[in-house]
Amino acid sequence: MDAETETLDRRMTPARRQRLARAIQYTVLAAIVVVLAVVADWGRIADSFFQIDIAAAMFPAVWTPFWNTIVYTLLAFVFGMVVGVPIALMRVSAFGPYRWFATGYVEIFRGLPALLVLFLVGFGVPQAFPGIQYPGGVYGQVAIGLGLTSSAYIAESVRAGIQAVPKGQVEAARSLGMSHTRTMITVVLPQALRIVIPPLTNELVMLTKDSSLVFVLGVTTSTMELSKFARNELTANANATPLLVGGLLYLLLTIPLGLLARRLEKRGEPR
Amino acid sequence: MNTEATPIVEIQGLYKRFGDNEVLKGIDLEIAEGEVVCLIGPSGSGKSTLLRCVNLLETPTEGTIAAAGHDMTGPDADLDLARRDIGMVFQHFNLFSHMTILDNLVVPQVRVCKIPKAKAVAEARRLLAEVGIEGKEQAKPSQLSGGQQQRVAIARALAVKPRLMLFDEPTSALDPEIVGEVLSVMKGLAAEGMTMLVVTHEMSFAREVADRVLFLDGGVIVESGPPAEVLSNPKTERARSFLHRVLHPVD
Repeated sequence: MDAETETLDRRMTPARRQRLARAIQYTVLAAIVVVLAVVADWGRIADSFFQIDIAAAMFPAVWTPFWNTIVYTLLAFVFGMVVGVPIALMRVSAFGPYRWFATGYVEIFRGLPALLVLFLVGFGVPQAFPGIQYPGGVYGQVAIGLGLTSSAYIAESVRAGIQAVPKGQVEAARSLGMSHTRTMITVVLPQALRIVIPPLTNELVMLTKDSSLVFVLGVTTSTMELSKFARNELTANANATPLLVGGLLYLLLTIPLGLLARRLEKRGEPR
Repeated sequence: MNTEATPIVEIQGLYKRFGDNEVLKGIDLEIAEGEVVCLIGPSGSGKSTLLRCVNLLETPTEGTIAAAGHDMTGPDADLDLARRDIGMVFQHFNLFSHMTILDNLVVPQVRVCKIPKAKAVAEARRLLAEVGIEGKEQAKPSQLSGGQQQRVAIARALAVKPRLMLFDEPTSALDPEIVGEVLSVMKGLAAEGMTMLVVTHEMSFAREVADRVLFLDGGVIVESGPPAEVLSNPKTERARSFLHRVLHPVD
């Protein structure tokens, strides 16, 4: 046997190299878990996060803020869609002024922090226009305050969706005698909205979390949302268990949303 | 057929430029009612652009177009109204992918022609049967084969009752064994007296069905005449070498 074949034999095959790499990664992972388990003070962790009586005492009062979180999110999302879809249509319009307005709108409300917009709607506008009344009180303020930011993101997503609809779909509609507007409503938008289900779900999840900003408007027990409630409980009990309960309740909202979106996406898929 | 003297398509001095690229360089063309005209020529010769100018999917740079009784290039042209009278079939079918097969035929009738739903559904069923698509009404376009989709696309174009049909390479995206089923639907349409302008590479279809064949090259109509003449005895060298390449690709 010559020298060349010998070196070839000593080199590992790709499959063997992969198996070795896997084994190393599993070992490291197992080591990390063991170290954490040994180092952590489990009694202290349980004391801070898992006090059953504190968790139990949050019910049923927690359902009001939980429900408010849902309502704030949906109101803001509906406002975002109602404003965002027309802004998206203006973004792709052939009429210059529409495009300029929509571009400016998106740049402004995408760039401003949601917290600042919420302050602006809650305190800035009432000061500048005394006597202004938001429909639904704090609910109207939230719908607009969170919805403005949301509408900018939604507009961008929907615009991308509109542009992803194949040009042939528009040509077919126009050559059947459909007007530009009719083509948009009947052919382009239904396809575009299906395309943007994933980013819209994303937006809904973001809004669920952004609803935690509502406390800056000054909320009462009946209009409080989940984060504020959990924080109040945290202070009252000097214990972190309410944060865990609040967090789990957020996941109770957002995880099913993700599942629902995946189903919607599948339904729209060409089979 | 009526004895109307005015042609159903009348194109005069048509030029089309895309930036610096002049695709059509002075096209004059008249098509009589009931005539079947096939447009042949090498790729890039402007066949599809010419076809797409007829219903103003492309806006001409220069020249006038009248089609199906509408002055397409006039300042007051109502293109939406005019396009109802000009059906179009695309290479890639372009069926509305989010609608069922039935809705592809019903929605245009209801939305464009304001036909009552029940009547539109009945007409859609009749047209689908005519092109040999049955039992697929609730299917989505993507569940059909290319040949079936193209036949539905022809039925959809017919649903708004056009007087003139444009076909843009209707069989180019199809597998060879499926081409026939689409061509036979087109042949049936021609036999019913529909005026048709067809961009195609199917020389046997042109020979059999066309009243007239136009050979386009470099943005101008180089030859025009009955299929037997243009396809069998081309007068120009350009047409001769194109036809040789199409009919004997291996040489």
